[in-house]
Amino acid sequence: MLGLRSIAGSRSTLQSLSRSNQFSFNSLRFFTIPFLPTLPQNPGGVKGDINDNLIPPKPNKLASSTHWKLEKVLAIGLIPLVSMSLIQGAGVGSLVDLGLSYTLLMHCYVGFQSCIIDYIPKRVYGHWHNRAMYLLTLGSLLSILGIYDMNFGEKNNGAVSLTSKLWTSKNDKVDEVNK
Amino acid sequence: MFMLRNPLLSSLRSSYKPTTTFTRLFSINKNLLQTPAKGQEILLKQRAKRPISPHLTIYQPQITWYLSSVHRVSGVLLGAVFFGVTIAYGINKIYNFGLNDDSLVEYYKNNVPTWLDYTGKASIAYLFAFHFANGIRHLVWDKGSGFTIKGIYKGGYSVLAVCAVAGSYLFSKAF
Repeated sequence: MLGLRSIAGSRSTLQSLSRSNQFSFNSLRFFTIPFLPTLPQNPGGVKGDINDNLIPPKPNKLASSTHWKLEKVLAIGLIPLVSMSLIQGAGVGSLVDLGLSYTLLMHCYVGFQSCIIDYIPKRVYGHWHNRAMYLLTLGSLLSILGIYDMNFGEKNNGAVSLTSKLWTSKNDKVDEVNK
Repeated sequence: MFMLRNPLLSSLRSSYKPTTTFTRLFSINKNLLQTPAKGQEILLKQRAKRPISPHLTIYQPQITWYLSSVHRVSGVLLGAVFFGVTIAYGINKIYNFGLNDDSLVEYYKNNVPTWLDYTGKASIAYLFAFHFANGIRHLVWDKGSGFTIKGIYKGGYSVLAVCAVAGSYLFSKAF
């Protein structure tokens, strides 16, 4: 009986805990980034009165299906490039290395862009959304330069070679070089 | 005329509401009539009371949506490593602080503690194996196949198996 009662008691405390958690999880404040200022939100997330016309977003040629297809092309293109690099390791051709690096960069750019759209939305963060996008673009431009240097720099042998070197760097048997 | 001017009688007259079928159907209750501004105010008050849809935390953890979030998290972590290294090379190209393949490997060998080396490489190995396998699973879905409850569970467990085997293999290559 005692055991049963304690289980019942703990369950009710759990329930009340989860109820109070639900309340705080549901509030917008809980899920915002703490160091970024947020815009005041309209009541219920709706703007204007009931007779306002819908203002559709500006059409963008790079949005929706074109963007989706681009994402897929990048993802499919990465499969052979990554497979070849994994199989051949440091000895992979420089063209594959270059292709892999730049395709991976575009893949990362598109992925990070989706994350910014989802987690730093313009509706909540205003111009901080744009700043995040600019920061991503700036970083990607530096990445383009970096990948160029990785492949064509005097002392560098490309991203795959660097990865395999780093992967086995703590290993004493250096002759077995394969990622 | 005399009767209308009598205040007592006129107040009685205003409070008297005949309830014939005709008046019930066609009379207008003036108290309910609002100006558009007042209506908008009521609308805004009502909108503020609208319930917010529940967040992910209320759902039961299931392989269907958990692997999807792991896919994104793994992608972001691997992308952060990729961006970190390539941006460092890019800045080095501009300011030239002596970063190249050999110096980076040498720095990694001497300055990165063993626990960080193990944690980092294990994370990268397993997350990379997972992201690669699950990425192919997503592409198969985009093609239009395997998108049933049964197919999603089958694919999910296969991806976890591939992640365990391939991730362990990649991690073992570090030693």
